Amino acid sequence: MAIAEVKHLKKVYPTFTLSDVSFDLSAGRITGFIGRNGAGKTTTIKGMLGLVHSDFGQVSYFGMPLEENEDKIKHRIGYSTGAVNYYPKKKIKDIAAVTKTFYTNWDESTYRKYLTMFSLDENKTPSELSEGMKIKFNLLLALSHRIEILILDEPTSGLDPFSRDELLDLFVKLKNCGIAIFFSTHITSDLEKCADDIVYIQKGKLIASCSKDDFIENFGKAGETLEETILRLERNARNAETAC
Amino acid sequence: MLKLLAKEMKLTASVLSYVFIAFALMAFLPGYPILIGTFFCCLGMFQTFQAAREANDIAYTALLPVAKSDIVKARYGFCVFIEACYFLLTAAVTLIRMTILTDVAAYTNNVLMPANIVYLSFVLIIFGCFNSIFVGGFFKTAYQFGKPFVCFIIVAYLVVGMGETLFHIPGLEALGTLGFDHSGTQLGALCLGFVLFIALTFLSMKKAVRNFETIDI
Repeated sequence: MAIAEVKHLKKVYPTFTLSDVSFDLSAGRITGFIGRNGAGKTTTIKGMLGLVHSDFGQVSYFGMPLEENEDKIKHRIGYSTGAVNYYPKKKIKDIAAVTKTFYTNWDESTYRKYLTMFSLDENKTPSELSEGMKIKFNLLLALSHRIEILILDEPTSGLDPFSRDELLDLFVKLKNCGIAIFFSTHITSDLEKCADDIVYIQKGKLIASCSKDDFIENFGKAGETLEETILRLERNARNAETAC
Repeated sequence: MLKLLAKEMKLTASVLSYVFIAFALMAFLPGYPILIGTFFCCLGMFQTFQAAREANDIAYTALLPVAKSDIVKARYGFCVFIEACYFLLTAAVTLIRMTILTDVAAYTNNVLMPANIVYLSFVLIIFGCFNSIFVGGFFKTAYQFGKPFVCFIIVAYLVVGMGETLFHIPGLEALGTLGFDHSGTQLGALCLGFVLFIALTFLSMKKAVRNFETIDI
């Protein structure tokens, strides 16, 4: 059953248009959101979080439209837009102390658990963290209230291969707890490792929204890996554009 | 809303916003245009807007489970809090000058604006202009604050100039008296200051809430 629905999302910028993007997220499934740089992944995620105003379309969570229920919905979802880029000179513990006051469902034991798991020092400031550790701090805040949906914008870029592997394993663990995970990436191996469903976007247009198996069946060729399939689709799109 | 106000104070605020409240003591200075202290307090609040932009405060706050309108109201709340602290401190200084220090030669021979009830009215008018022109202007984009601050500087200095000039105009001498002479007229001016402060702040906050709802972050 879908716990989040994006319907016909459209956003027009002077030089870019995100058009008619629709997909669902289901509990206990990992959805990988793939597309090259500038394809519209971040715009879609910002639209899903109400940070940009769509020109058309609707985003709803748990059967409730986001627009009228932002407060209630944001208690039940976690989100991380890449690395922490706020309050660079404030201590992690101070940022967390303020953040927790906004969540009635904040779980201190979960916060402590992930703090240890991510080896984060509470007395450090974001400016003292590496890019990878900044992503982990953002994730820490996102995971510390009892979430049902986790939305992440390129959580694996900037991470070393070991941390990436660790993070993808964590996704699987969270999925097994019934959490729906939606993460954007341009690293196709991330999808191969843990995604159940794929949403594929190209130049602001939705190309596919289906299970990974269906994607491979519908778009792949015999003997191709998922990475090769996506690279071929991107190449074809570029060639078609050049031919025009 | 109160949580957001606490967040403004703990995470967002520049320490200069608090330190510059001390400029309220400039009302003690003889032979100095004391309203400039109010402008310095606004400069302190400006530092918070600058620090907030550098710290991506709006992006952080917009992701919290709060209504967008409350983000704007909390920032206004923070400014009003600083302004109230400044006003109370400078009102205390004014009261001292109007009572204990009323006969001090340095104050009686002062050709500039005296610290009296009318001075407090002008303090409120400058704060009202800050909330309306600068804070309201900032929330048109939630990013650009240069132009609104320049506009505020121009208006603030016009208000300071008006304050320094008004009581020299024949017939308006009552506005510049020391002590409690003409206190009726001066209290009327203070009431006008309060009305202008509340109206400018409230109307600009309403507009800023509407503007902020339409901004892409």
